[in-house]
Amino acid sequence: MISFHQVNKHYGNFHVLKDINLHINQGEVVVIIGPSGSGKSTLVRCINRLETITSGELIVDNVKVNDKNTDINKLRRNIGMVFQHFNLYPHKTVLQNITLAPTKVLGISEKEAKETAMYYLEKVGIPDKANAYPSELSGGQQQRVAIARGLAMNPKIMLFDEPTSALDPETIGEVLDVMKKLAKEGMTMVVVTHEMGFAREVADRIVFMDQGRILEEAPPEEFFANPREERARLFLSRILNH
Amino acid sequence: MIDFSIIVDHWDMYMQGFGNTVKASLLALLGSLLLGIVIAVFRIAPVRLLNWLGAAYVEFIRNIPLILVVFVFFFGLPALGVRLDSFTAGTLGLTVYTAAFIAEVIRAGILAVPKGQMEAARSSGLTYLQAMRYVILPQAIKIVIPPLGNQFINLVKNSSVLGVIAGLDLMYFGDLISSETFVTFDVYIFVAVFYLVLTVPLSLGVGFLERRLARSR
Repeated sequence: MISFHQVNKHYGNFHVLKDINLHINQGEVVVIIGPSGSGKSTLVRCINRLETITSGELIVDNVKVNDKNTDINKLRRNIGMVFQHFNLYPHKTVLQNITLAPTKVLGISEKEAKETAMYYLEKVGIPDKANAYPSELSGGQQQRVAIARGLAMNPKIMLFDEPTSALDPETIGEVLDVMKKLAKEGMTMVVVTHEMGFAREVADRIVFMDQGRILEEAPPEEFFANPREERARLFLSRILNH
Repeated sequence: MIDFSIIVDHWDMYMQGFGNTVKASLLALLGSLLLGIVIAVFRIAPVRLLNWLGAAYVEFIRNIPLILVVFVFFFGLPALGVRLDSFTAGTLGLTVYTAAFIAEVIRAGILAVPKGQMEAARSSGLTYLQAMRYVILPQAIKIVIPPLGNQFINLVKNSSVLGVIAGLDLMYFGDLISSETFVTFDVYIFVAVFYLVLTVPLSLGVGFLERRLARSR
């Protein structure tokens, strides 16, 4: 579903991604962890070309993401994305946030888009907020709307870029629950997070990054019990023992 | 004291001038808003050539006097075989001139919308233009209402440039009445009052919009 072959990325002189090789299969849940500045978010943002790569090859859903002839808008229909700061449209209601892309991109009728939106709002547990504005919702509710917004396009892949990092601790659980449900239903997910409990429980595979490199890739049981890399061990000891 | 017989005797002329000033202002307001938005998007779009064109437009137009822009339409175009009546030439000049300022205001407003909004819109599959139209511009417009109001007030006052090329506006009729009656001060006092009749409600209206939009957020 997603394949990185020797991918490198530079921001000017800064080498953000170094020789990335990563293959993610359909239905897989891959959680990317690592210290801040290690390139996790950049890696995820390359998948839907919010960031471009400098060299190497990246194939998503059988499409070369950085090829000149690629219709990026078409590819993006199949990739939902959830951001750290939700990025809901503040001037639109919850319902309008969710129906915008389906109506304008897929050309679905307003009525059908609304029904789909309500279905996903039910799914994330806040159908009663359909007509509220984002500013009237808690962080956890906003992020669940953002997830519903992504799902409404019926994507093949969902990307999560630190979806709980901006939430207060009490509402993190409700967002993680929605993500767990999604994982169980077989959605292909790439998740950047610091929630180790979630990673351990839901991930099929953990990818550990540091300084732009993938240092370790392993199933969670193996990674958390017995990390191979010294850097990964250090990272885990710092975040788990406090 | 002010001689009110001036306005009574020349009511028709004042009204005709007032009507044309309103017409020129409304046309230029609409035109410069649309043109300004297009130029602002040019300046920001991820296309080098458009950025350059937008910047050239703004820097060129806003750095020459309004009257010269109007002259281009009134005296310049006929040289190229396009003849416009003075009202049309004046209104076009006013539109083109004001658009440069409006473009800068809108550009600042667009840049004030958080980057994540564009990212969210684009990552859902919307094209750049769709993202602009449905997500970025509606938010930018709210931000720019106060500075935009200033531009519109300036536009109404600047429409007096039509008087110079016999554009049949308030200023033109003011000059005409003054040269007929040999009265200056009183004639222009009434001209000023008519401008105030336009600009004060505009100013209050912008304030009202600003407060209403602030609430809807």
